[in-house]
Amino acid sequence: MIGGMKRDTKDNIQYYLLMAVPLFTIFLFSYLPLFGIVIAFQDYVAGKPFFGEGVTWVGFKWFREFVSSYYFPRILRNTLLLNGMNLLFGFCVPILFALVVNEIRGTKFKKFTQTVSYLPYFLSAVIVAGMIVNFISNDGIITRLLQALGFSAKSLNADPNAFPWIYTLTTIWKSFGWSSIIYLSTITAIDPGLYEAASVDGAGRLRKIWHITLPAMRALIVIQLILSIGNMLSSNTDLILLLYNSSTYKTADVIGTYVYRESLMGGKFSYGTASGLLMSILSFVLTWTANGISRKTTEFSMW
Amino acid sequence: MNRWTAFDAVVLGLAVLVCIVTLYPMVYVFSCSISDPLMVMAGRVLLFPVGFSADAYHIVTADAGFWRSFLNSVLYVIAGCVLMFFNTVSVAYPLTRPNLKYRKFLTYYLLIPMYFGGGMIPSFIVVTKLGLYNSPWALVFPTSYSIWNIILCRTFMSSLPNELVESALIDGSDQIRTFLKIVLPLSKPVIAVIMISTIVGVWNAWFNASIYTTNKDIQPIQLYMKNVLAATSTAASNIMDKLPAEIQAKYREMALSGNQIKYAMIIIATLPIVFVYPMFQKHFTKGIMLGSLKG
Repeated sequence: MIGGMKRDTKDNIQYYLLMAVPLFTIFLFSYLPLFGIVIAFQDYVAGKPFFGEGVTWVGFKWFREFVSSYYFPRILRNTLLLNGMNLLFGFCVPILFALVVNEIRGTKFKKFTQTVSYLPYFLSAVIVAGMIVNFISNDGIITRLLQALGFSAKSLNADPNAFPWIYTLTTIWKSFGWSSIIYLSTITAIDPGLYEAASVDGAGRLRKIWHITLPAMRALIVIQLILSIGNMLSSNTDLILLLYNSSTYKTADVIGTYVYRESLMGGKFSYGTASGLLMSILSFVLTWTANGISRKTTEFSMW
Repeated sequence: MNRWTAFDAVVLGLAVLVCIVTLYPMVYVFSCSISDPLMVMAGRVLLFPVGFSADAYHIVTADAGFWRSFLNSVLYVIAGCVLMFFNTVSVAYPLTRPNLKYRKFLTYYLLIPMYFGGGMIPSFIVVTKLGLYNSPWALVFPTSYSIWNIILCRTFMSSLPNELVESALIDGSDQIRTFLKIVLPLSKPVIAVIMISTIVGVWNAWFNASIYTTNKDIQPIQLYMKNVLAATSTAASNIMDKLPAEIQAKYREMALSGNQIKYAMIIIATLPIVFVYPMFQKHFTKGIMLGSLKG
């Protein structure tokens, strides 16, 4: 480089001028809330600063209150149930769909199927939830379909037993196509020579999927699985807030919705922050454990 | 080898099934929205429109609140895109330069918020304390950057031929001019990907609006829709109550159901996404590949 030190200084002034506004915005909206976590250990009064005079420190009071409350086991159970069902029924859908798409004859129909499949991902949660709530209401199309099939004629909106299914199916519907993209891109990267060699050896298409396609996807599947298990304690608050109602709290209430009601509606800021923080910590421990187990038992890990 | 087999039939069947399950809800909503109201009420519309009526659309288009929030969302999308563009590229470029100082500090500064967040309540308190409560900027600034986008953009920019940048610098151009004249024009593909995801993200956002604002004049389309859609059918037809009396009477006569108004709203509010979708087709799958590159 010409100019050496002087040039470097001049360059760096320009770099940091460029970055000043974004870095400051990040400080305001990512770092300040991070410091704000301290209110979980305070008796925070709305409008007061996080530190300084007038702050009452209460230690782990709110954590104890949350853990011993009626809501803690319910939230934990609901979160595990919703995520467990999602994992059980939702995890394999994008993988199977990617395999099916890959086997479709005819480039046009293949492309069409793919395009259609990720359309729901682009619809807003408000619209998707609005449609579902409408379809399962008393005179909704899904209720009518269930009636035609001989099931009871009630609206599913107020049925706590139906909520986990509604949530799971909605989530799968909205995201399976999108989640399949990453699997499809892995399949596309497989060396076609492998398939040709297998054909010469007389392997059928199912055998080729089993012995070539799936093993090629193995690392990705394991990583996605670790991620899903790590996310077992975090839920899609956004969608649940839109889908649930007071009659389905029993099976639908998760930490995000609980904090939303207690703090933003009820004003219990410190308590809400403590509850949220506790679940985040549990969630982090879970991800870490899942990753550790994966590293020990398979050769894959995220870090 | 090239004959159609039972296997192909199964594959085709599954693919068709997936297409139907995915498309049917949207087709049903569209068909209901333009069908004869009496047919919709009677549950006669199952797939294709039965009869024709644009009444639901007339009602929605006559609803000032709906258009107000629609326009608000257009403005939020524009502001969101401008800020996202600036906040992404102006951090991504310096990160690709070898003589950037304090790089290690910067990397940590960007990585920490990717893994740790303050959560709902501390964010709410910060926004409120910054005086943004009930301000339209509360819906713009907190989502005006994405560390993930910065990393994506940095990865793309570092893949550009280094000689282009270096030769411009040797010719006497300074960093900012090189960045504007050479690096930015070459980064169009990654910028397109980021812009499209910002448009979709901002257009579909409702949660921040629901906690940071109570003022109806600044609410985005999704929050307006939420209040209508989440409500019962009777509450949806309350929109009609705001219309002039003679129009109201006319529509009541037609027995237009609240549901049909909801359907028409869903269609109108989804149109912008439908227009963005072909752009997505062109750029996005490429973008995902970009994202999966570790860098």
